[in-house]
Amino acid sequence: MANIAAQRIKREFKEVIKSEEVAKCAIRVELVNDNYTELKGEIAGPPDTPYEGGNFILEIKVPETYPFNPPKVRFMTKIWHPNISSVTGAICLDILKDQWAAAMTLRTVLLSLQALLSAAEPDDPQDAVVAKQFKENVEMFQLTARHWTNAYAGGPNANKDFDDKIKKLIEMGVDEHEARVALSSYNWDMERATEQLFS
Amino acid sequence: MASSASSSTGSSKKIDANGGPDTADKEEKKEDRTFECNICLDTARDAVVSMCGHLFCWPCLHQWLETRPSRQVCPVCKAAISKEKVVPLYGRGSTKQEDPREKVPPRPAGQRTEPEGGSTFPGFGFGDTGFHMSFGIGAFPFGFFTSTFNFGDARPGAAPHGTPQHLEEQYLSKLFLWLAVLFIFWLLLA
Ligand SMILES: [Zn+2]
Ligand SMILES: [Zn+2]
Repeated sequence: MANIAAQRIKREFKEVIKSEEVAKCAIRVELVNDNYTELKGEIAGPPDTPYEGGNFILEIKVPETYPFNPPKVRFMTKIWHPNISSVTGAICLDILKDQWAAAMTLRTVLLSLQALLSAAEPDDPQDAVVAKQFKENVEMFQLTARHWTNAYAGGPNANKDFDDKIKKLIEMGVDEHEARVALSSYNWDMERATEQLFS
Repeated sequence: MASSASSSTGSSKKIDANGGPDTADKEEKKEDRTFECNICLDTARDAVVSMCGHLFCWPCLHQWLETRPSRQVCPVCKAAISKEKVVPLYGRGSTKQEDPREKVPPRPAGQRTEPEGGSTFPGFGFGDTGFHMSFGIGAFPFGFFTSTFNFGDARPGAAPHGTPQHLEEQYLSKLFLWLAVLFIFWLLLA
């Protein structure tokens, strides 16, 4: 089959650019290379979620078999979410796997990811640590997710307590991101995080 | 949304009124999109329509079904579909049947049924009276059953839960249900 993938991405690209979500600054796509095989997506954190005010960059790779197979999407921006790996940015979302349908587009994918940020599914997790926190202590999860949005996605809500704890660990010679991961994983318990970092 | 509604009702005059060949061009494109394949997003070639009403190029749909043999669903609405149950569309300007046979099997043919002849009474051949009769009787308890239910629901002052009247109604509904089940059994055995 002649390259239907590139043809389609070209059309979709125009579709996204013209869409009303772009006008509302909710989603965006950019080309990374000229042959339409790699794109950069961007979604705004949905309102009334810990991701509000943040901008999340996505890596979108279009396989040769697109649209018969889904695009490969992962978060470039670090994010604290049960269905997204806090390490790799890999996403657990059915439409990017077996529930993909050939009529779905970049626009629907970006909107689905935005919906995923509003409605996590902790029973089908990508990141077990985050999912556990979400189930056992949802307030702690929200504070942590908001803090990550502030630290990595330009979100407006800083958490002084969390920032201070990270600062202390940095003074002890720990890398900032590692400190954040350790503290986030242990519900911001300084002792247990330090124990894990120095063991 | 508003623009699509206006485009469906004699758009050409309105476009002239709005002026500008630009608008005319845009409207035309929008109208074209109605006949876009839902997979390649191009104007559908060798067009087929699924039973759920979604339009595709036959080569595109064929490739989709080949990609996921275990999951034959409509790419748009995820209804169950199959190669055998798509309807080809033959427009006046449609392409000759020569093209994509090397790689893709030919598009399934349309199904034509001859119109009923005027003189014979349709549907009551002697051979299948049995079928028609049992169907006629078989439908009876269902109709009766559903109508009793509907009656109960639609009544303005349906008896509240727990009252003897309500219990009696429930008993009656159950009785009818059992009667219907017994009837079907009887039909099956007969
Ligand atoms: Zn097509
Ligand atoms: Zn459909």
